[in-house]
Amino acid sequence: MTAVTDQDRTEHTDQTEDTVTTDREMTESSRSPGAGPAGHAPENGNPPEQRGAEVADVASGTNGTSGTSGSGADVEVSGAAGPGALSSQAPSPEGASADDDGGPHGPNGLPGPDGPRATDGSRGPGGPEGRTTRGANAHARVEHGDRHARVEHDDRHAARVKEGDGRAVRTEEGDRHARVKDDGRPVRAEDDGDRERTDTEGIWDDGLIARRVTESTAAELSPVVEPRVSRPLPVTPLAYDGPLRSRLDALRELVGLSRTRLDSRTLAEAGRVLDEAAARRRLSGQHTVVAIAGATGSGKSQLFNALAGVAISETGVRRPTTAAPIACSWSDGAASLIDRLGIPGRLRRRPVQGPDGDPQLRGLVLVDLPDHDSAAVQHREHVDRILGLVDAVIWVVDPEKYADAVLHERYLRPLAGHAEVMFVVLNQVDRLPGEAADQVLDDLRRLLDEDGIALGEHGEPGATVLALSALTGDGIGELREALGQFVTERGAAARRIAADVDAAALRLRPVYATPRRAGLSEEAREEFAARLADAVGATAAGEAAERAWLRNAGRACGTPWLRLWRWYQDRSEPPTGRLPVRAQPDEEATARQRVEQAVRTVADRASAGLPAPWAQSVREAAVRGAQGLPEALDELTARAGLPPGRPPRPGWWPAAVLAQASMTILQVVGGLWLVGQIIGVMSPNLGVPVLLMVAGIIGGPLVEWSCRIAARGPARRYGQEAERRLREAAAGCGRARVLDPVAAELLRYREVREQYARVMGAGVR
Amino acid sequence: MVTLDVRPQLLEALSALRDRVAAARFPLPLAGAPRARANRDELLAQLDDYLVPRLREPQAPLLAVVGGSTGAGKSTLVNSLVGRRVTEAGVLRPTTRNPVLVCHPEDHHWFSGVRVLPDLPRVWAPQSDPGAGDDLLSPEDDPARVLRLETVETVPRGLALLDAPDIDSLVADNRALAAELICAADIWVMVTTAARYADAVPWHLLRTAKEYDAMLVTVLDRVPHQVVSEVSRQYGALLTKAGLGEVPRFTVPELPESAWGGGLLPATAVAPLRTWLVHQVQDSAARQHAMARTAHGVLDSLKSRMPELAGATAAQYAAALRLTSAVDSAYDTEHARVRARLQGGAVLAGDALKRWRAFPLDCTAAELLDALVESLGALLLCSVTAADERVDDAWRREPAAGAPGLAARDATYENAEHRIGMAVRRWRRELEEYAEDEVGRLDRSVAPDPEVVAALAATGLLGGRRARSAGEGLAERIGAHGALRLRDRAGRLLADYLDRVMHTERERRLAPLDALEVNPEPQAELIAALSVLLKER
Repeated sequence: MTAVTDQDRTEHTDQTEDTVTTDREMTESSRSPGAGPAGHAPENGNPPEQRGAEVADVASGTNGTSGTSGSGADVEVSGAAGPGALSSQAPSPEGASADDDGGPHGPNGLPGPDGPRATDGSRGPGGPEGRTTRGANAHARVEHGDRHARVEHDDRHAARVKEGDGRAVRTEEGDRHARVKDDGRPVRAEDDGDRERTDTEGIWDDGLIARRVTESTAAELSPVVEPRVSRPLPVTPLAYDGPLRSRLDALRELVGLSRTRLDSRTLAEAGRVLDEAAARRRLSGQHTVVAIAGATGSGKSQLFNALAGVAISETGVRRPTTAAPIACSWSDGAASLIDRLGIPGRLRRRPVQGPDGDPQLRGLVLVDLPDHDSAAVQHREHVDRILGLVDAVIWVVDPEKYADAVLHERYLRPLAGHAEVMFVVLNQVDRLPGEAADQVLDDLRRLLDEDGIALGEHGEPGATVLALSALTGDGIGELREALGQFVTERGAAARRIAADVDAAALRLRPVYATPRRAGLSEEAREEFAARLADAVGATAAGEAAERAWLRNAGRACGTPWLRLWRWYQDRSEPPTGRLPVRAQPDEEATARQRVEQAVRTVADRASAGLPAPWAQSVREAAVRGAQGLPEALDELTARAGLPPGRPPRPGWWPAAVLAQASMTILQVVGGLWLVGQIIGVMSPNLGVPVLLMVAGIIGGPLVEWSCRIAARGPARRYGQEAERRLREAAAGCGRARVLDPVAAELLRYREVREQYARVMGAGVR
Repeated sequence: MVTLDVRPQLLEALSALRDRVAAARFPLPLAGAPRARANRDELLAQLDDYLVPRLREPQAPLLAVVGGSTGAGKSTLVNSLVGRRVTEAGVLRPTTRNPVLVCHPEDHHWFSGVRVLPDLPRVWAPQSDPGAGDDLLSPEDDPARVLRLETVETVPRGLALLDAPDIDSLVADNRALAAELICAADIWVMVTTAARYADAVPWHLLRTAKEYDAMLVTVLDRVPHQVVSEVSRQYGALLTKAGLGEVPRFTVPELPESAWGGGLLPATAVAPLRTWLVHQVQDSAARQHAMARTAHGVLDSLKSRMPELAGATAAQYAAALRLTSAVDSAYDTEHARVRARLQGGAVLAGDALKRWRAFPLDCTAAELLDALVESLGALLLCSVTAADERVDDAWRREPAAGAPGLAARDATYENAEHRIGMAVRRWRRELEEYAEDEVGRLDRSVAPDPEVVAALAATGLLGGRRARSAGEGLAERIGAHGALRLRDRAGRLLADYLDRVMHTERERRLAPLDALEVNPEPQAELIAALSVLLKER
């Protein structure tokens, strides 16, 4: 069924459009009562989509009321379309070529050209019928695109057109957004979704029924797409070669990876290139769309006519002459390509020899553009828009204007990367006397060279520069030959896309490439750890622990007399500062400012040399990680500090204490002995007790001193241990909370950079 | 009939205005800055090259500048008007690289000096040697811009023709020069062709001429004879639509000579234009009219152009103010924050806190003081860098912050650390001196160690609530009264140093911006100069 209903007006309709316009209008007027159920009589008579929507409306109504499955709607649609299709007396080959027009809508789901087409008043007879099923056609897409959103989207589209011509243009813009949506821009997608919903509801009254219809219809319609391939003149979609495909994939990945980091404006160009590449890919690979661009009065239309062999495009002395682009296709099946350019059917032409009369240029679609330099601004807009969509460009210059700044600065220099899909022809050489033509041509070559455009001389790839006269026909043959070869190669579209990717990648260079190697160096990590250790006071804690240990050792091994004296001293002294500082739970033991500074420094180090957006995201990662870091460190210091209570004692400690005690005992024994002799209890023997006492008196400090010497090592070890524990705990906490997120961010950047290198093709450092 | 009434006051006001315009600067890269700069230069050129000399010497010859797009045949037209090859014409674009001024030999003195176009050095080729003329026609290897003077008898006295470079040349310098030359003209001769008459660039120039109300004449050159009437009608219609319907319009057909050979057109082809020009010069009323119209046009245009310039300077000042206030608010915020943190005892944390806990037993007073001072330095440095970060954030959103030199502060980072270190060490020294003072006042037998006193005072001051015991200890050592006094003095000193550090860093941050000297005065001065001029007219 789709074979008929899906058919759309095509080239053959263009040729006969004038004669059938009235016919169509009649059809329209006769049809509008038929559309009655939906209650939308065509207000302005020309938006054909209206009928598409209406019929779909009817279909949905039928479906809803009868409660049957999609086949019911299907019948409705085909019934509505049937007579029209018959009346359009479309023979099967034409039907096949008509298919091409519908084709893109099937697989690609980009109803972009619909907008302009809707505004176009004059249509072929196939138009109404084709459009009748536009709604259904749109549903058919679902199975191919397998994206549910598109269904709604297309419904919306069809529905929206009802609101009139002005809206139709806007719809196309809406489509652009929708296309972007596929790339996953979250905000816009929502936005669109909302609109879709409201629109759908507004028009259908019940989005559910509509959806059900579309799904079922789609299910019905999907298999019918297959037979198209078997038709005469099948349109094989464009195929990109491996490297280009992988570059496009890489670019898509790149855009996806960096969407959260870069603003959408930066990525817009890359997104556009991807969209266009995808859109072009779905269209015919047999055809090469070549635009003729140039300044006003350079003879674009003349050249266009000369190539087509018939006066298609109006020429004249009135400047600017051509106001809207005109397309001319040398073979069938290019309708969808021309649709994409937004050129209405009344501006589509065939060359004089007929579609297949000129085998040399078979597959060529020539587009005559308005000028780019006249005071009429909308001309420039046309040119800029279409230049972004065509496969190749013929720049027409003339001896008077070949050095215009507008041409070189606005167009040729930015498009220097597209040299391979560029022809530059010097028109009007008949106005130049003698060798002046060669001089001018050489000068033109020089200027192009200065613009950075590679010239296709000596068999190297690059722009083709020719001198010709469209008026006398001089050099047209050469151009024809060059074009013929160019078109036969069928590589222009891919080359153009490749050049687009190049340009987009080059433009993205500042946000991806770095002048030097970026990353978190080992020193930076160590410095961060050191700063955190400072913040928790690891050094001071270690020193304090060491001294405390030493002090304890001294006290333990010191002579009792010394301890007595110290105790006395302490009692007499005011107890300043020695009051043990009680650890309050809310205490901020960690120096906040040091943590903050450490994070800032490490973020600066890590982001040094990164492109601004990535540097920003690295900094943000660091700051995010640093939230709560001081509190964590507080807690950590409390836990990782030395266990409370007495520090551990070395093995020799009891021996030392024993020695000290024995020294004291010696003193006491010696003293008692002496006292005993003095009071006469014991026999007088001065030597031994004095010796004992002296040994005790000397030995006590000796033991104390040697203990102190011996305690130094363990004390230091103890202090270092305390410091190390704090330090490691702080570093570990810092690593987990700050360094790891930063490293992850850097890794993400590196990934993106690799993608970027893939986009750039070979080697980007 | 407008006449030119020149009084010395007017000239004075004009030269004052000129100086003001010359003094206007637009250093911040705002959106409108390049345009303002171009406007300033253009206005300055017009004042220097045209208005001031014209008002000074109304009797000087009229200067007709032939301008137009590349390939419009300007040089051929000048040659044909003169009747001799005085300027190069050719097929290669851009042809005219150096402007050529053609005048009667007796008018030569008017142009040989720096009366008009003072920036362009003159080259004068005397007429006597026609052979030398050919050499001069190709000054390819002459990089410097010169104005070539040619004297030809056939030019009527009181008229000078200037062949300007292309207004849409690929060489940007040529475009600027062309604009400057056209601004110096009494009579603007706009040349366009049949192929070009709808181009955007010449129309821009035509509209400018209309804006300045200059004496304008357009020449439609190179019209193939079969389409003369149609093209001419189209062009006329376009002109009328643009409000330039009354502009004298001349049509020169495309002749074999006109082309690319650099030949001379027959005199008949350019006769109407020549007659018109001669009439402008020789009829005194017409001459007065032409002169006065252009001069008044420029004077009138000042009414809108000066406010525009003043607006641009105001925008510059506003942007500078925004930048400054971003810095101020960032530093103010950080200042408040650091004060709050000092009060909260943030300095007594980390190392310092550990030292303080260990204080008299396992830590000396000097060590405690060291740790405190270091911690204080870290706090100040942190707040300064935080302020800088805030400033960076705020400036990132300001286009004006892209001015060269504003962002270059990476080198000063270490210096900030150094400066802050110096400041806190100085504070410590002064604190120690105060402590010694206080200890010296005591009449106790055993005076406490001044260092311990200093350390306790610093701890009490910086430790906030957490260091209450330090205050008690201090009071015990030097008495409650002394402790209070010491604390007060040290506190004042600390606040002082804090203010000083923040102020220094803020000033350093603002220094490059201040160096750009974006002031509010130029705006007022420009407007004032304009109003004086308008009063004197």
